[in-house]
Amino acid sequence: MTTAFTPPGPGSPTEAHLLLVEDDEVIRNTVRMALERYGFTVSTAGDGLTGLEIFRERQPDLLLLDVMLPELDGIGLCRRVREFSLAPILMMSARGDSLDVVSGLEAGADDYVVKPCESAVLVARIRSLLRRASFTPVVRAQRGGAPEADGAAGPDTLAFGDLTIDTRGMEVRRAGEPLALTPTELRMLLEFAGSPGVVLERRTLLSRVWDHAWQGDTRVVDLHVQRLRAKIGAERIETVRGFGYKLRR
Amino acid sequence: MTLRWRIVALVAAATCAAAAAVGVLVHHASRDRELSQARDGARTTLDRAAAIYARTGAIQGSGAVLDAPGLPGDLRRLVEKGHQGTEFTTGPDGPEMWAARPADDQVLSVRLDMSTAMRDIGALDTNIILAGLMTTAVVLPLGVLTAERMSRRLRLAAATARRIAAGDLDARISPATRPHDEIAEISGAVDSMAAALQERLLDEQRFTADVAHELRTPLMGLVTAAELLPPGEAAGYVRDRVRVLSTLVEELLEISRLDAGAEEADLSPCPLGPVLEEAIAGTGLSARLRTGTAEDTGQRDREDIGQQDREGIGQQDVTDGPKVWTDPRRLTRIVTNLVVNAHRHGREPVEVTVAADGRTVTVRDHGTGFPDDLLEKGPQRFRTGVRERGRGHGLGLTIAVGQAQVIGATLEFGNAPDGGAVATLRLPERPEQSERPEPGPIHG
Repeated sequence: MTTAFTPPGPGSPTEAHLLLVEDDEVIRNTVRMALERYGFTVSTAGDGLTGLEIFRERQPDLLLLDVMLPELDGIGLCRRVREFSLAPILMMSARGDSLDVVSGLEAGADDYVVKPCESAVLVARIRSLLRRASFTPVVRAQRGGAPEADGAAGPDTLAFGDLTIDTRGMEVRRAGEPLALTPTELRMLLEFAGSPGVVLERRTLLSRVWDHAWQGDTRVVDLHVQRLRAKIGAERIETVRGFGYKLRR
Repeated sequence: MTLRWRIVALVAAATCAAAAAVGVLVHHASRDRELSQARDGARTTLDRAAAIYARTGAIQGSGAVLDAPGLPGDLRRLVEKGHQGTEFTTGPDGPEMWAARPADDQVLSVRLDMSTAMRDIGALDTNIILAGLMTTAVVLPLGVLTAERMSRRLRLAAATARRIAAGDLDARISPATRPHDEIAEISGAVDSMAAALQERLLDEQRFTADVAHELRTPLMGLVTAAELLPPGEAAGYVRDRVRVLSTLVEELLEISRLDAGAEEADLSPCPLGPVLEEAIAGTGLSARLRTGTAEDTGQRDREDIGQQDREGIGQQDVTDGPKVWTDPRRLTRIVTNLVVNAHRHGREPVEVTVAADGRTVTVRDHGTGFPDDLLEKGPQRFRTGVRERGRGHGLGLTIAVGQAQVIGATLEFGNAPDGGAVATLRLPERPEQSERPEPGPIHG
């Protein structure tokens, strides 16, 4: 396993702006340097509260955070950021136990990595998250007046009960109200919407949405399904025990 | 015979025995009373008749008879010897009480008819039997009920203990509202045992997680820093050693997690071929994958999905070949370790073969085979079987065995007759492990 590290060539696309929140100084500096070599712009913070402040100020494209942080821990930071932002969040856990992983994902993280991880792995995850975010709809501010009638659903609009998905405008509404979905949640919903009534295995979702291979952790899927259910209505996604999930037509 | 039926039979037997004993006692007491009353009455009448006879030489109106023809023989002989006596007997006219005494050369006797008294006792007996039957009829269902409740509680205790043994440490027997008896005591004991076990396991897990954190944090800095070094011979050494160190730390953490028994398989139906392919590719080592299962491609474990879902699942995994119910992360780990071990201690070519049953995977090399020590005792930690250290830590096979246990598979080690080590992994048909419970709804 060689660390294939490819510095960005002259023609490489401008990489995104990341915020790294990590209390260990060595990790903070080395990870920042490594990510900068891949062409990312990296801001750093040493504790949760500073991280939150910088996030508000600079609106980075992605938040990379450690779970154990002074002041405000990673879980709390995740939750606070999710109150106003849909930016992808990648969590780094050194404990790697369910407590860390599950609470982080519940708090709104999109994915996690266990330390120590090579930069190549970290970058692959970051890129996967950013790809998902790149087609993210900007959640439209609520407009005055009545929402458009559902009867006008065009060929680009999918409807499932009170849920409508405008696949062109990338807008999801429930009973006319626009929903704020994170890129990961939206990607997953689109996977479901692409084959309504069909059982999608956890592994299938893991590979299509997260680009994880067989080694991925399916808890990521379960927790995202829970989050998606909380937003689009619990009854919309059915659990088929032992197999996976399906969207109710 | 189950405890319940034993208790019910005992209750029935006890009730019947009690009713019978009471019945017999009452029967005898009433009979004795009737007889002694009759005896006294007969004797009184006889004495009066004897007095009249002595005074008048006649017995008219006294109720006694001289030389009665029906007098029982025993009594007659007794009287002829000069004694007086009474006898209860059942004559041709029914039960009767006789009293007799000598009167000159004759036998003076009195006979009392006792058929009414005996009929009354018969009626009493019938009533006692009826009462006994009714008591049994009332007590028996109560016994069944009590036995049923006890049996249910005991069964619950046994089932819970089994669940705890199977790894569900949250299982408890108690509602504390149960009556305070021996069953409650044993339930309480099982519950506190489970709680103690859980506490210890949680401590262990916490400790492992803390150790993991303390080791991985500096390691993460080291790994990233090593990557940043400018290329060169020394940097190469550093990176290599950091990688070895990382692997060792991860392996030790993995073993301690396996030891703590906290690992839970995340089972799903997986196509064996692609998982193995990926596992082999991940090692970066050469190994030939052979799957001899083309004919049973259609076999799938999906009896419990509804018709509606069937079309859906069919759509996406028809292409993947036979499936097994397993945890692909752990399966990958096992196969990776076996392949790495084959390369490290054996010789190429390394072959990974799926047997015709679609569930047995063998990893074989063409070296000198596993050492006898390993074949006998199984893999031992930090024993690599080679004199010179530095070629692996001897943890890989221990981990493989532990992970196999978690996914309900067996891993056996042997040597091929024509040389070479053979590790055989048998995956279970469909492990009887419950699926991970769904996380609760998310708030906030």
